[in-house]
Amino acid sequence: MLAAIRPDSWNLPLFLHVLGSTLTFGATATLALVGFSGLRSGPERAAWLRSLAFRIGGYVLVPAFILMRGGAQWIADKEYPGNAKTPGWLDVGFIVTEPGAILVIVMLILAWLAARRPGFRGAVAVPWLASVYLLALGIAWFAMSAKPGS
Amino acid sequence: MSLYDWLLFLHVTGAFFLIGGVVVAGILNLAAIGPKRRPSEIATLYRLIRFAVPLIGAGMLLTLAIGLWLVHESPWNYGYDDAWVIVALVLWALAGWLGGIDGKYQRRTGKFAERLSAEGDVPTPELYARLRAPRALAVSYGSGLLAFAVLGIMIWKPGA
Repeated sequence: MLAAIRPDSWNLPLFLHVLGSTLTFGATATLALVGFSGLRSGPERAAWLRSLAFRIGGYVLVPAFILMRGGAQWIADKEYPGNAKTPGWLDVGFIVTEPGAILVIVMLILAWLAARRPGFRGAVAVPWLASVYLLALGIAWFAMSAKPGS
Repeated sequence: MSLYDWLLFLHVTGAFFLIGGVVVAGILNLAAIGPKRRPSEIATLYRLIRFAVPLIGAGMLLTLAIGLWLVHESPWNYGYDDAWVIVALVLWALAGWLGGIDGKYQRRTGKFAERLSAEGDVPTPELYARLRAPRALAVSYGSGLLAFAVLGIMIWKPGA
């Protein structure tokens, strides 16, 4: 649909943004799955799964998040240059990604501590935070795709 | 919101489910290939991969059904005979076919890892060979890359 109404120069930033978003969704879902599995496992298996959750966060989620947010900023700058007023659906995206960055950082710190300390109680928060972020991503893709109110 | 807006949301939801599921399976598969994994660890990762299957299935269905509906509802005069629509459908079918082959292979590998796990949890060269079989990896990651290629076609719509 948008190809007919947007300049070709917007395609690359849009592709990178959507690619980053889907990778972020997949990485967050994996983190949640591995995290919940770690909570149900015995001590030895839990330690391995917690370490795996941290590595997924660091090696996949963070680069994917940067790609999503960088692509978003790139296309927003093209579509709404300077001080142009941004529509509500775009603001929803920023609301999800900016506090979302803090959530991802908190998740990573907790996952790191959980990977290092076997008895760390905060480990339980990691998959739940990932689940909350999945929900937030769902709200963002609703706003970005359906553009309600525009 | 118009019908078109709702369809676009559902189509994008399908894309997120499909590619998100592919990413989940890809990450866990890659983790299973890691050095010195015990069969019980590999079996755990393959059990988790099963959660990606309904996500991928729902994504395949939503992207196809809603995508075809979107072409019909589009106010931009898109047609089912447009090159980008045909190429996207061919790549979608190819990705699904390769994904199906990969799914069967992965299920057998998961069951093999479960069996070894129950029989002393000692890894065998056969298990590692299955995990690292170049042809199986090409099919697995090839199907995922095709899904990403369809995403690119949806953005650029070459020829539209």
